[in-house]
Amino acid sequence: MTAVSRAWGRLTLPGKVVFTIVPLLVLLTIALVVAIGLFGTLVVDILIANIGIVRFVVAVTIILLLSPPIAFVIIYMEMKIIALMNLRLGPDRVGPWGTLLSTVHGLKVLMKEDFTPTGADAVVFTWAPVVVFASTIMAVLVIPFAPGLFGQDMNIALLYFFAVGGLTIVGLLMAGWSSFNKYSLLGGLRSAAQIVSYEIPLTLSVVGLLILAGTMSLNQLVELQGPHLDAATGQMTGAWFTDWFVFRQPLGFLIFFIAATAEGNRTPFDLTEADSEIVAGFGTEYSGMRFGFFYFAEYINVFVLSALTVVLFLGGWNAPFDINGIFAWLNSVQSVVTFPTAFAWDVNPAAVGLPLLFIVALAPVLATLILGAPFYLLRSSTKWWHAILIGFVLFNVLVVGLLLVWAYVNFEWAAGLFWFLGKTFAFVYLFVWLRGTLPRVRIDQLMGFAWKWLLPASLLNLFVTAAAVLVIGG
Amino acid sequence: MTTTIPRHASADDPRVLLDEEIGVFEPVPPYPPRTEREAEFYTLRDGEMFLNMGPQHPSTHGVLRIVLKLDGERVVDLDPVLGYLHRGVEKLCENADYHQTICYTDPLEYVSALFNEWAPCLAFEKLMDVEVPPRAEYIRVLSSELLRIASHALFMGWMALDLGGLTPILWSFIERDEIVDMLSALTGARMLFNYFRIGGVNGDLNHEFMSRLGDWMSRATEQHAANIGLLNENEIFVRRMRGLGTLDTATAIRMCMTGPNLRATGLPFDIRRAHPYSVYPELEFDIPTRTEGDCLARYLLRVDEIKQSLRIIDQCLHQMPDGPVMAKLPRLLRPRPGRAYGAVEGPRGQYAVYAVSDGTDQPFRFRIHDPSFIHLQAVGTLMPGNLVADAMAVMASLDPIMGGVDK
Repeated sequence: MTAVSRAWGRLTLPGKVVFTIVPLLVLLTIALVVAIGLFGTLVVDILIANIGIVRFVVAVTIILLLSPPIAFVIIYMEMKIIALMNLRLGPDRVGPWGTLLSTVHGLKVLMKEDFTPTGADAVVFTWAPVVVFASTIMAVLVIPFAPGLFGQDMNIALLYFFAVGGLTIVGLLMAGWSSFNKYSLLGGLRSAAQIVSYEIPLTLSVVGLLILAGTMSLNQLVELQGPHLDAATGQMTGAWFTDWFVFRQPLGFLIFFIAATAEGNRTPFDLTEADSEIVAGFGTEYSGMRFGFFYFAEYINVFVLSALTVVLFLGGWNAPFDINGIFAWLNSVQSVVTFPTAFAWDVNPAAVGLPLLFIVALAPVLATLILGAPFYLLRSSTKWWHAILIGFVLFNVLVVGLLLVWAYVNFEWAAGLFWFLGKTFAFVYLFVWLRGTLPRVRIDQLMGFAWKWLLPASLLNLFVTAAAVLVIGG
Repeated sequence: MTTTIPRHASADDPRVLLDEEIGVFEPVPPYPPRTEREAEFYTLRDGEMFLNMGPQHPSTHGVLRIVLKLDGERVVDLDPVLGYLHRGVEKLCENADYHQTICYTDPLEYVSALFNEWAPCLAFEKLMDVEVPPRAEYIRVLSSELLRIASHALFMGWMALDLGGLTPILWSFIERDEIVDMLSALTGARMLFNYFRIGGVNGDLNHEFMSRLGDWMSRATEQHAANIGLLNENEIFVRRMRGLGTLDTATAIRMCMTGPNLRATGLPFDIRRAHPYSVYPELEFDIPTRTEGDCLARYLLRVDEIKQSLRIIDQCLHQMPDGPVMAKLPRLLRPRPGRAYGAVEGPRGQYAVYAVSDGTDQPFRFRIHDPSFIHLQAVGTLMPGNLVADAMAVMASLDPIMGGVDK
């Protein structure tokens, strides 16, 4: 108990707040589940009657709970990938392959002292990281992760996204101005100039896409890139990746990606925190969890921008190929193997009968022994309990893998989530790769690039698309 | 004349005017201006502000402090403040005997310590008319050319780091580590070698050094190509460096600049050829020059010099004679009164020592000419008019080492 109280005592105020709110949220969820169990239909009816509010509350809770882990994963990816590019080892101490290091960093910032420098505008200084973090988190709300798995489906989702994303500058400016430090001031003003300039090509580059799609709802945009009923022909189309908007709007995609890199303050456009010039930019005077908020926001921003790129141009949750179509085609050209074209794994446990008990009771033990045996037999240095441990871990990996495959096959959202996260993290990798490779551009080159190249190019893209739609007729 | 500098206020906010009471640091000296230049510099016009860069700053290459006068992001004027690393090496050397001097000069330019040992050795050998055995001369050339490669490799990494590239510096450090490990097998230290002696070197080549060297030489060219491949073709890097901080030959000579920074302006001046010392007349190598005189030229010139150093090392290994590595000298050195000047071509330029003997066992006067200090003058003409980001790039391209600047 003393250990717990000592750890609690070392927490700073934001740490105490975070560590209070998270259990409260969990308790609230449990209470809700218990209430449904006790009062059944009554509670469910009340909830269904207010489904919009419920959906919003649940979505916000889940986003708040899941965004730190996402940030941790991206931070770990960045540390490890850049380390490998630098021919270093990278994190390898905390957890297996150092995977827990970013989590420990997250806990560390909760315990660090966060001070307000002399001369700083304390109120603005305190609220700046909150504004940055909140605006980044709010953008996650409209991103469709999978069929049915999204916070809110707005018909103006894209506008909402740009509006909320633009709020980030307010926070950065607040931080830069209130820190009472000239490096912070330069960093804040740089970020303002940069983000305001790049908002324009970012927004204009998707207008061509919107003309083609005719909707601003991200859900509908994703559905248009997947299998859907074509209004003109009345047939199902678009099960393949060729229907993704990136092939119809290649220039728009390129502009969007470059502008998103600048929008997220990532290398080569990371002038706001250029450490060789202005130390740490707007974050120079921040420490502890306030700094942590900036840090989290930056990495969640990377995730959000990658996700939006995927949603707009790369088909969102849609698989790149039509696996059932491929199987059907294979079945039609050969008769040696019959591929299943529709999965329906309706296993009725009752029908299995008594052997089910046998399987449930003995399978883990047997599997553990069988999987562990080779390690014991083939390597004389392995102790028997090491082998059993390895066998158990392998068994669990196997079970989880099978479960995932089962979920992928049976649930649309699981398959969607798989493809969505796969594509998104491919883009996150691209951001990290850029950071490991490129030097930074200068501020005048940055602005010149936005106004002289990206803006005309995005306008050109817009006019060409509009003309094509006029001539060909959509 | 009594002039008072108006205290600079950061903002119009009345609370901010309480600067002195709340102890906010403004980089204005606490005394009235001593020169007109100081008075002019520390008076702000409308829209200008001071930015105190250093002595603790990620990219000032040590403890250089520069007070920048900024207009927006553009540098209007600057005031470098030196001396944070001043140790009084010259005075220390005047109170040490001739052998001890070498370990005092060692940490001056700490990334290329062998050259710091070579110049005093050269001066003292002239003072005492010592004949250095040829094998010792070849070992000196071999080890110091290795260190020149290490120093240039490090420069390439720092240059990229100051422009925001993360990776090149770590690749450079791998190359430097290999060389430094090799030299530690030869000399027993990784950084401050204390290897050269008056009249020779401390020890002969050994097996570990030679095997490491052979291993490294077999892949040095490819490794070098890989390292420069990271940057030389990079559009962002080249665009930022080209035409930045241009020096012409006349200005460079007027500022006494030597070494790569001078050669980048087009003048093939190299002490190894202009005032030959050691066995350099017997070795074949080119003096690479470039005519642009900008940051990119300074960078590419060092890249070329690495290739020439590899050539020299190769020749040294082939021509290395047998024999002693140390001349026969008395234990206590008392040269007759006189003076001598020894200059070597370090990785940064002419590194020279001027020693005066009064017949005792300690030098009467020991003067160090350090290229870093000379080259740092150029920031005053190159930085103004550029952006803050480019100011750092300009400084990095001059490659100063603060250990040598502050002596």
